[in-house]
Amino acid sequence: MTPFQILAISGLTVVVILTIRAVARKKISPAAGVFWLALWIGGAIAIGWPAITVEVARALGIARGADLVSYLSILAMLVGFFLLNLRIRRMESQITAIVRELALNEPQTGAAREKKS
Amino acid sequence: MTHSDREVHIVIAAYCEETAVGDTVRGLRKRYPNVIVVDDGSFDRTAAEALGSGATVLRHVVNRGQGAALQTGISHALRVGARYIVTFDADGQHAVDDIPLLLEPLEAGRCDVVLGSRFLRSARIPPMRKLTLKAGVIFTRLVSGIRVTDTHNGLRAFTREAAERIEIRLDRMAHASELLDQIGRSNLRWIEVPVEVRYTDYSKRKGQSSLAGFRIAWDFLIGRLK
Repeated sequence: MTPFQILAISGLTVVVILTIRAVARKKISPAAGVFWLALWIGGAIAIGWPAITVEVARALGIARGADLVSYLSILAMLVGFFLLNLRIRRMESQITAIVRELALNEPQTGAAREKKS
Repeated sequence: MTHSDREVHIVIAAYCEETAVGDTVRGLRKRYPNVIVVDDGSFDRTAAEALGSGATVLRHVVNRGQGAALQTGISHALRVGARYIVTFDADGQHAVDDIPLLLEPLEAGRCDVVLGSRFLRSARIPPMRKLTLKAGVIFTRLVSGIRVTDTHNGLRAFTREAAERIEIRLDRMAHASELLDQIGRSNLRWIEVPVEVRYTDYSKRKGQSSLAGFRIAWDFLIGRLK
């Protein structure tokens, strides 16, 4: 193994332990835990045993293992961007609901302003 | 049956319109006493000008967009018992005299929503604006199947029942397309009537840029996924 492989796999092992701990402490859901663990372990296998990615790539009709990793990374980033966009929009809707409720609870009229002043 | 002008509530969304909103409200209140201005987080004297002109003012503490502001105003109008709700632009583009044309078909029970259209009346529309608006019309026909001639006209009138069935969820400019989409999906009866849109230097400056059309289309399509 190269020094990079040892470093990367060590780092990913720590992240795997942290993920398992987060699930155990209920900081993330079991489904999210499985998703992240699959990602970390998949990454560790791709780095530590690149021949496996070559086999998978060929089975999928892609020439090189590195290309398979690139394609999957780009795909994951696009999906992540899309999901993040949806989440931001949901949060924006919630902010609007709060702002609206505040506005509806305090309508002002010219007459009311004159009384206050 | 004719409406009392008191049953009509005019809703105006305003963001940094201190120079125009006062005149707009005063013009409206000569006939329609119930004018609701939603100050959408302005950093100028929009709210003060609207209040001084006799409007009821609701304030968004932060800017949320025209769609959000209109829904806030419509919700308030429904709470205070509006029978008819008219949306009107703050920048003086619309004519108060057009409002009875919008209300008449509602009172006659011929429809639930009346939409203003600048293209049903011969008017001088800046060429680039005309192109953008026509693109909006084609886009709306494709995605919503509703065949209007003017997608982004802020002058509209709703019966109370129609306003209760519509909920604007797209906060920014895509609300205009969303509104039409909801009208189509809710099977509300609608018609268009010719209205005037005045293009002043001020309204052109405050209006959307032609490139905003792309953002509106994107927001509308993403909004459908929410």
